[in-house]
Amino acid sequence: MPYNIIVLIKQIPDLELIKINKDTGAPILEGVPYRFENLSKNAVEAAVRLKEKYGGKVTAVMFGNEKGTQVMKEAYAMGVDDGYIITGYTESNPRFTAKVLANKIKQIPHDIIILGNQSADSMSGMLASFLATQLNYPLLSNALKIEINDKTAIASEGAEKFVADETAPLPCVISVTQETNEPRFPPVMMIMKAGQKKINIEPLNLPVESYSKVLSKMAPKSERKRIIFEDMDKGLPEIVKVIKEVVK
Amino acid sequence: MKALIFSDNYDMAKQIMGRAMQDSQFTLMTTESNEDLLYFGAEKVIFLKGQPVYSCIGETLISEFKKGYDFILISSTTIGRDVAAYVSSKLNLDYMPEVFNYRFDGNKLITKRFSLGGKVVLEEESDAKILTVTPGVGEGIKSERKSLSEELKIPDGPIKVLAINPKQSQGVDIEKAEVIVSVGRGLGKKEGLALIEQLAKKVKGEIAGSRPVCLDYHWLSEERQVGYSGKKVRPKLYIAIGISGQIQHIAGMRDSKTVIAINKDKNAPIFQECDLGLVADLYKAVPKLIEML
Ligand SMILES: Cc1cc2nc3c(=O)[nH]c(=O)nc-3n(C[C@H](O)[C@H](O)[C@H](O)COP(=O)(O)OP(=O)(O)OC[C@H]3O[C@@H](n4cnc5c(N)ncnc54)[C@H](O)[C@@H]3O)c2cc1C
Repeated sequence: MPYNIIVLIKQIPDLELIKINKDTGAPILEGVPYRFENLSKNAVEAAVRLKEKYGGKVTAVMFGNEKGTQVMKEAYAMGVDDGYIITGYTESNPRFTAKVLANKIKQIPHDIIILGNQSADSMSGMLASFLATQLNYPLLSNALKIEINDKTAIASEGAEKFVADETAPLPCVISVTQETNEPRFPPVMMIMKAGQKKINIEPLNLPVESYSKVLSKMAPKSERKRIIFEDMDKGLPEIVKVIKEVVK
Repeated sequence: MKALIFSDNYDMAKQIMGRAMQDSQFTLMTTESNEDLLYFGAEKVIFLKGQPVYSCIGETLISEFKKGYDFILISSTTIGRDVAAYVSSKLNLDYMPEVFNYRFDGNKLITKRFSLGGKVVLEEESDAKILTVTPGVGEGIKSERKSLSEELKIPDGPIKVLAINPKQSQGVDIEKAEVIVSVGRGLGKKEGLALIEQLAKKVKGEIAGSRPVCLDYHWLSEERQVGYSGKKVRPKLYIAIGISGQIQHIAGMRDSKTVIAINKDKNAPIFQECDLGLVADLYKAVPKLIEML
């Protein structure tokens, strides 16, 4: 039985390329390119695999900005059929993001909504549950395996201390993690085709909601000594000395 | 201040109670069953029985909260985060995720959390009433007085649990270790662990690892993963071998007293986060180090 699947994707600044201003401790974000958020890729992979197994359609929705077209093209290359970017994202606020996404989701036919369970930048890990609660759908969280049986989703939830096999009626929200799958590298043909495909871009039509006032945003101070040896014969004796001070 | 705490993790339940004790009276709700939790200063401990489904746990929290609490503290675990967003939505109360430090300032709450994957600390003022808190937020303090004890059945909901398979635990607790020898992907192969074990023995340390080593390759068990999504450790000595030092890893070992790093790439970020570093192939350096100890 074919399913309408919506996958939610996020773009984030390339964290490895963010430098810290040595004088102020503030991060320098200007010029840092965006990239596909890690677990969003696992989400796309999970969505496309369900389509390949059961048939249907995968629609991607991103709350981001115009620069998100590159990430959306990557999602197309991985097998996403249709994509929407809602522009106007300014800050991490999963409750508000859930509201924006829920509004869009209601306009698209869907049986299953898939997303990553914790994004690599803010790591709040709350979007999936906010979204499910706002849509009044059940959430199968941190799903390691996903199967669909007629009108029921079956997933094994990987919690810290156990794995629970759970079922929920469709429509439902499913969040995935790094262990869920290995995202594919699309073949060149798919990448070329994806470049030509239309991306639907829509401006945000809700007032932005903020939930905090930022008092400071700075790199934690590192008091490390940073004594680095490139010569093993010099470095090892120093290491031995430090170890012996601690381990008597 | 009166706090309602939820945790599905014994250690974190103790840590959060330790923090709450500083400025609040509190009740603990937990899916754990260890009766030790009755001796950490809670007025009342409510042991939740039944299937651990986030929305159903959320409902029990909401009914308890309505009896008169000021805020809710929830441990940041897979289930905890889902419960927190559920409760925040249903009660329409502000929230703050991943808090590692908080204090009250009049009616406002001042919190600290990491952002940009751990690169920066955000200090924020908010009206948040529902917080998810990360490991290390406090330290459990034993109390003479025994808490009242209650049992409550988690109600059923649309999600059915068919089976629960506990993950095997080897019972190691790297959070309590004084010396940690931690390995990363640079190890290259599982067989390399033999060498690391020899070193760990010499320095009387526990072995830990980065996320790829624990989660992707399963060379080590998950309970040995250090980092943002793993354990937060604070040993006297942390020896990082073949670990690049990505921010998510640093977030778990930042509070170590002394850090030694061995990595063959002199530009590896771990060299910015260590006290003593050696640029070398671990398979050359570690055998020599063992010999010298
Ligand atoms: C949401 C999220 C959460 C995460 N949580 C965590 C977490 O909790 N913990 C964690 O660790 N990571 C976490 N990560 C992953 C993190 O971003 C890095 O990918 C990971 O820490 C890298 O592990 P590594 O240093 O072992 O591997 P790599 O980055 O591949 O580094 C290997 C290092 O070994 C060195 N090396 C190679 N061969 C040798 C040799 N023979 N001798 C000496 N050195 C050698 C290399 O120079 C390199 O620096 C998370 C990521 C995300 C997105």
